[in-house]
Amino acid sequence: MSDSDMSETGKVHNISAESDGSRPTHEFDYADALARCARGEHAALHQLYQYEGSKLLGVVYRIVKDRGMAEDIVHDACLNIWQRADSFDPHKGAARTWIFSIARHLALNAIRGRDREVSVDLNAPHELDDDDTFQQASRVTDAFDWQTGQRMDECLQQLETERRNCVLHAYVDGLSHAEIAAHTGAPLGTVKAWIKRSLLRLRECMA
Amino acid sequence: MSPSNKPDDLHALAGEYVLGTLPIAEREAFEARLANDPELQKAVAAWEERFFPYTAIVDPVTPSDYLWPRIERSLKASAAGAPASAPTRAPRPNAPRRRLVHSLPFWRGVAGVGLAAALAMGVMLTNVANTPATPEYMVVLLAPQTQSAGWVVQAANRQEIQLIPLGTFEVPEGKALEFWTKADDWQAPVSLGLVEPGQPLRLRLDQLPPLEDNQLFELTLEDDSGSPTGLPTGPIEFIGRAVEI
Repeated sequence: MSDSDMSETGKVHNISAESDGSRPTHEFDYADALARCARGEHAALHQLYQYEGSKLLGVVYRIVKDRGMAEDIVHDACLNIWQRADSFDPHKGAARTWIFSIARHLALNAIRGRDREVSVDLNAPHELDDDDTFQQASRVTDAFDWQTGQRMDECLQQLETERRNCVLHAYVDGLSHAEIAAHTGAPLGTVKAWIKRSLLRLRECMA
Repeated sequence: MSPSNKPDDLHALAGEYVLGTLPIAEREAFEARLANDPELQKAVAAWEERFFPYTAIVDPVTPSDYLWPRIERSLKASAAGAPASAPTRAPRPNAPRRRLVHSLPFWRGVAGVGLAAALAMGVMLTNVANTPATPEYMVVLLAPQTQSAGWVVQAANRQEIQLIPLGTFEVPEGKALEFWTKADDWQAPVSLGLVEPGQPLRLRLDQLPPLEDNQLFELTLEDDSGSPTGLPTGPIEFIGRAVEI
């Protein structure tokens, strides 16, 4: 599961779905699959699951870090996709993005809800310490092999490395402000400010 | 970056929501607002599109063989629960209930109910069943539809469990109840055998890892000789998670 050991700034891996040679995702019509789900075709959801099940589970597992919980969430995400397919509007965004955002937000709700039950102790070492991506972060090198060949790359590139790491730790690992602070060694207020400013800069850059 | 810079604040907040950094209370407040705020929906959709390519950073994880059959069973159960919603799915009066039954928070909630019920019934059960007075784990198995308790699992230690009926259950002709368990990090549930309705059952878990907190137990309706696949295939009649006492 480690991505950090292949981190090397500037090395562009074409890892976007379109160029992933292992599965012909570019031939799969996600919007059509959702339309068929909305018409009640179980086969359409099964196809989506066959194309994206392992990717969805990967994204969710990376956030919740518990295999059983991750499968519970992918189960719930599939039912959500099924039940909400008729509300998908292709004019408002891409179908594949919509599908993944459902799963991601279920995962985020689960872990943020857990934060409420177990208050996060900023000073306590975390079980996440064994995640080697943080060692990368603390040396202020890139914590991720993050370049995807998308336009957003240029905008992320313009951020300072530690700020880019904060943003990606949040998006990919589902870390809270406090967790990012604990693992990068930056003060909580700094992390919050970095992320907010980074978001505004990214938006400006993408405009 | 002044606080009065409204559009910036809106986009930053939407971005934080998509990143996932908002604390749960703010997250819930944001979601409530999002439902009726088209401008905010647009801002969120834009961030989802901007960040989506970076899901490619993550390695895929192959789901267990059990996951799709489980999704399929839930789909069928939801279809059975709402036959009127067949081809035109626009207004679905049953949707909230179906969503509830299949949602994770619901099951987390059930686990909480199970704990309360387990603690409330603990004393009574130890008398009734004449088991050791201090079980280490308890599971209350609830019927998913009615949330009524049907069975209790008690474990005096982590290798031996007792399944105790709280009532009777009508098994259809040619069918049987099969008992399953799955800990969080197991790939698939393991059959603990067939169960006679209304009859207590004592089992040693010698072949399995020791019982752990939150371990799932369920009873599904299978063919009378048991599931043909070795995995649950029929509807879940009773389900609950282990609570350490």
